[in-house]
Amino acid sequence: MAEAAKKTRHHVIVGSGVTGSQAAETLRECEPDARITILTLSSLLFYNRYDLPKVFRGHRDWREYLVYPATYYRDWKINVRRCSRVAGVDARRRVIALDHKEEVHFDTLLVASGGRGYIPEDLTDFRPLMHGFSSYTEAMVVANEVPKKGHVIMLGGDMIGLDLARTLLDTRHRVTLVAGPYTFWPHEVDDDERPALIAALEKMGIEVLEGADAGGIVSIEQGAPGLSARRVLFRDGTELYGDVVMPFFGLSPSVEFMLGSGVDIERGLLVDPALRTTTEGIYAAGDVCQIWSDAERRYRFYYGWKNVRAMGDLAARNITGDDKPWAPAQDEKLHISGDGKLQSPFWEYA
Amino acid sequence: MGEIKPPPQASGAPVSQPSEYLSDDPRDIGWVKQNVPCQTACPAGTNVPVYIREIIERQFGRSYETNREANVLPGVLGRICSRPCEAQCRHGWPGNGEPVAICHLKRVAADLKDAGHRITERLYSPTGKRVAIVGAGPAGVAAAHDLSLLGHDVVIFEREERAGGMLRYGIPEFRLPRGTLDIELHNALRLGVQVRTGVEIGNKDGQMPMSSLQQEFDAVLLATGCMAASPLPLLGEWEQRELRSMEGVEYGLDFLMEMHRGVEKTVGKRVAVVGAGFTALDCARVAARLGAQEVTIHIRTAEEYIPVAPEEIFEAKREGVRIKGLRTPVGLTVEGNRLTGIEFVQNRLGGWRSNGRRQAIPIEGSEFHEPCDTIIIAIGQQTANDYLGTKLELDRWGNVRIGVDGMTSHKGLFAAGDYVSGASTVVQAVGHGRQVAKRIDAWLMGRERRKQVVRIVPVDKPLRERAFDFITRQHMPTAPLDERMRDGKHEVELGLDEKLAFEEAKRCYLCNLRYQIDVDRCIFCRACIEVAPRNCIKLVRGVEIDEQGAYGKLLETKEWNQVGAIWIDNNECIRCGQCYTACPVQCISISRCELTEVEI
Ligand SMILES: Cc1cc2nc3c(=O)[nH]c(=O)nc-3n(C[C@H](O)[C@@H](O)[C@H](O)COP(=O)(O)OP(=O)(O)OC[C@H]3O[C@@H](n4cnc5c(N)ncnc54)[C@H](O)[C@@H]3O)c2cc1C
Ligand SMILES: Cc1cc2nc3c(=O)[nH]c(=O)nc-3n(C[C@H](O)[C@H](O)[C@H](O)COP(=O)(O)OP(=O)(O)OC[C@H]3O[C@@H](n4cnc5c(N)ncnc54)[C@H](O)[C@@H]3O)c2cc1C
Ligand code: SF4
Ligand code: SF4
Ligand code: SF4
Repeated sequence: MAEAAKKTRHHVIVGSGVTGSQAAETLRECEPDARITILTLSSLLFYNRYDLPKVFRGHRDWREYLVYPATYYRDWKINVRRCSRVAGVDARRRVIALDHKEEVHFDTLLVASGGRGYIPEDLTDFRPLMHGFSSYTEAMVVANEVPKKGHVIMLGGDMIGLDLARTLLDTRHRVTLVAGPYTFWPHEVDDDERPALIAALEKMGIEVLEGADAGGIVSIEQGAPGLSARRVLFRDGTELYGDVVMPFFGLSPSVEFMLGSGVDIERGLLVDPALRTTTEGIYAAGDVCQIWSDAERRYRFYYGWKNVRAMGDLAARNITGDDKPWAPAQDEKLHISGDGKLQSPFWEYA
Repeated sequence: MGEIKPPPQASGAPVSQPSEYLSDDPRDIGWVKQNVPCQTACPAGTNVPVYIREIIERQFGRSYETNREANVLPGVLGRICSRPCEAQCRHGWPGNGEPVAICHLKRVAADLKDAGHRITERLYSPTGKRVAIVGAGPAGVAAAHDLSLLGHDVVIFEREERAGGMLRYGIPEFRLPRGTLDIELHNALRLGVQVRTGVEIGNKDGQMPMSSLQQEFDAVLLATGCMAASPLPLLGEWEQRELRSMEGVEYGLDFLMEMHRGVEKTVGKRVAVVGAGFTALDCARVAARLGAQEVTIHIRTAEEYIPVAPEEIFEAKREGVRIKGLRTPVGLTVEGNRLTGIEFVQNRLGGWRSNGRRQAIPIEGSEFHEPCDTIIIAIGQQTANDYLGTKLELDRWGNVRIGVDGMTSHKGLFAAGDYVSGASTVVQAVGHGRQVAKRIDAWLMGRERRKQVVRIVPVDKPLRERAFDFITRQHMPTAPLDERMRDGKHEVELGLDEKLAFEEAKRCYLCNLRYQIDVDRCIFCRACIEVAPRNCIKLVRGVEIDEQGAYGKLLETKEWNQVGAIWIDNNECIRCGQCYTACPVQCISISRCELTEVEI
């Protein structure tokens, strides 16, 4: 490609989370004249999701969560198109199809569409009776639903849920955790480590019920007026009553719009260590991609704020001419602190 | 591309034909093939838009009969069909949303027809010819039905205790209740077909030799399917080891067949299923019902490439089945003779294989281990030819080779279904069974007795409303998890009720409706173009006619002096009826074009 044309390439990024936003910034640094467009489903500009538990501390104004003011995007010439759902990608024509039937042409594409809260298939029937926590809007809905000192039933756990649980306990809510294989996601925990970690959760004030011990969940029901808003029923007859039920079973990558695009997918988009997908000019980074690990000889996900930010940065550098491999930027080990409580590196962010 | 003709004269169907007529014009036959993608994609050639229209009219029995003309097992296929039609449905084309639930609607016709529904059959006089069929799977049954209608005496030889092939011995009851299967098999075979079950054709003691069939019958059809489970290719020390005798090792096909013969099967706590087709998925779901605590399907490529409907994968996951991709087993781990786990190698995705499947390329040095108590090997099944006693010509996959006349290299010996194609699908077996039955009839009688024509019926108004185009695909209701897991045979999909069926049926564009403009009467006011929802009405200077004599490419123009006609591009048309209503001079006509057969 001619140098002049290269400078004015159109770099399109799908997703305005940590990954996409960091990539946009790095792209701008590397190519001051290129066109940069972020397409995102989100109705808000890049905001700090990690801070969302603060809605329970009374921080309910969305502006508090924005990472950059709107002027940042103008100054950095980053075009953010909010409320735009990418419906498909035609790699051959280098065109992105938006849900509202518009087509956007790209020279390079970075898919940074993250993941959404996974709900195990056997619980999907009860989706309408559960409260998600993956966006500002969802956080507000649940915050409005839980009364003062109310009771939150958490299914699964995961580091996102347990982080929220810390805040909930601090704000004098009651938290019951239905523990299972996702409780410490994305940490990989051995069977022999588990009892001590569960004990640490209890030490923190979380009431823990091992879902499998009660035979698994049979149903989630809505209470009649005057009764608890939710009942969770287990196969052995155990019942839990609470104000909301929140599923936390890790994330499942948002790849549906890439199906049929020609880019290889297993669970996430498969990328080489330089974050290139199997299709030229298309990169993926963040929670949506599975990176080939030479050391572990497998494709794997890397989660966490530091990791995904580094990935966004690396993808942008490689898109603009570098060819550097990915190196994890974050510790993955769960700890029990001196006072017996659980400590995860995923909870440390700037 | 062949000649170019101006559109009006090119029409095989006069625009203002007053009443129904039959056409054997290749342009009309070509039109249906091009324009009704679901019917073209259906290996049995089911007339989909007609049966869906009959559902809208709440004529469930008629809808069932329309299905039955192409396939004698509508209630069966309405449950377990692999749905090649839906992959081609116009409603699923880019920008049009999701395909019509063609398969679920087929089940609606079967489930909602009157309890006392009477089936109709067109019977020919007896011919005195005798045909033997080996194998009572869908291919054998479909062929037996058609041959008996055509007046031949048919005897089926089946080695199992009961007819049905993989429908009975492969597919589990929670997907296909045996009551439905029994009724449809009975209806298909009651016109004098003799079924001799428990008779195995072969050369061993107690088996009936092929040669006796060939002596006794005028023609013999082999429809013995793919009965041999493919062995698992392992590496190193495992390459040569016999796996069958090991504790904890099962071959999926045999596992299911034994279970359906009444053998009580058990599995360990941790079950690993290897494979990515119907058999793998069924084995996993059966294992979950047999009480396994952890069931994982291990596949070489990725979930995206499993050739099974996504709804079914979802249901399997709801039942607790996990799917793990990018791995190929290379060895096992054992304690004594008991399985303790599987050694895998990690894969990356490669190119595409000639059979349309994705390749998996093992990554050197990436071996890893997963513990399990049971492995169910379900990586495919193959044909067995050792029972024949004669050598037949085979193709490069080891399947028997047949000519266009359906005959093997041996005179009077025909073959159909999975036995010819390799492991495929029920609808392919049914379609192929019927096709070969027609060839057998022609061979026995010395001539073709039926030919394909298009019935063209004028329609006096659009049968759809624009609002129908915005209805989304209706979901199949399913049984609560607890119920289905408690009784392993409980049917999972419950079927669409009348209300859901009606909503779903309205979604069908009825692609067999041909909208045409009578150019002689058109005043070129463009009112139709203005109301059209898409780029479906075009100004053209002509239309190409392809090699088969069917309409080809439209030659569009923007120059007024070149406009030969205003032409409805039936490829783009979604049969919304807007143009018909808008035209001030009523020069747009609608006709229904459907393939049918007539006696020659
Ligand atoms: C509520 C919450 C709290 C978390 N807290 C922490 C924490 O405290 N510490 C930590 O280390 N990790 C945390 N995580 C994990 C976290 O997911 C990260 O690893 C990281 O945020 C992922 O960033 P990302 O940019 O890859 O994806 P995301 O942040 O998920 O961003 C994805 C973006 O893609 C957009 N998108 C998705 N699909 C489409 C589409 N079809 N069309 C257009 N746009 C689309 C979305 O709108 C979104 O803007 C948290 C996650 C959640 C959900
Ligand atoms: C577990 C499983 C699940 C499946 N699920 C689906 C599905 O959901 N949808 C779908 O479309 N397809 C499915 N299939 C594939 C489908 O069942 C087959 O493609 C189809 O049944 C092939 O039909 P056929 O008549 O050619 O052979 P078969 O159905 O295999 O019938 C062959 C018959 O020949 C008999 N036979 C064999 N040898 C002899 C002999 N020597 N003497 C006498 N009789 C003999 C057999 O006993 C059998 O009854 C599935 C297959 C399996 C194994
Ligand atoms: S819209 Fe109806 S007629 Fe057209 S392809 Fe789909 S099912 Fe067939
Ligand atoms: S019916 Fe008429 S307006 Fe509607 S899609 Fe077809 S040609 Fe276009
Ligand atoms: S509305 Fe009728 S008259 Fe007008 S251009 Fe269309 S077909 Fe011709």
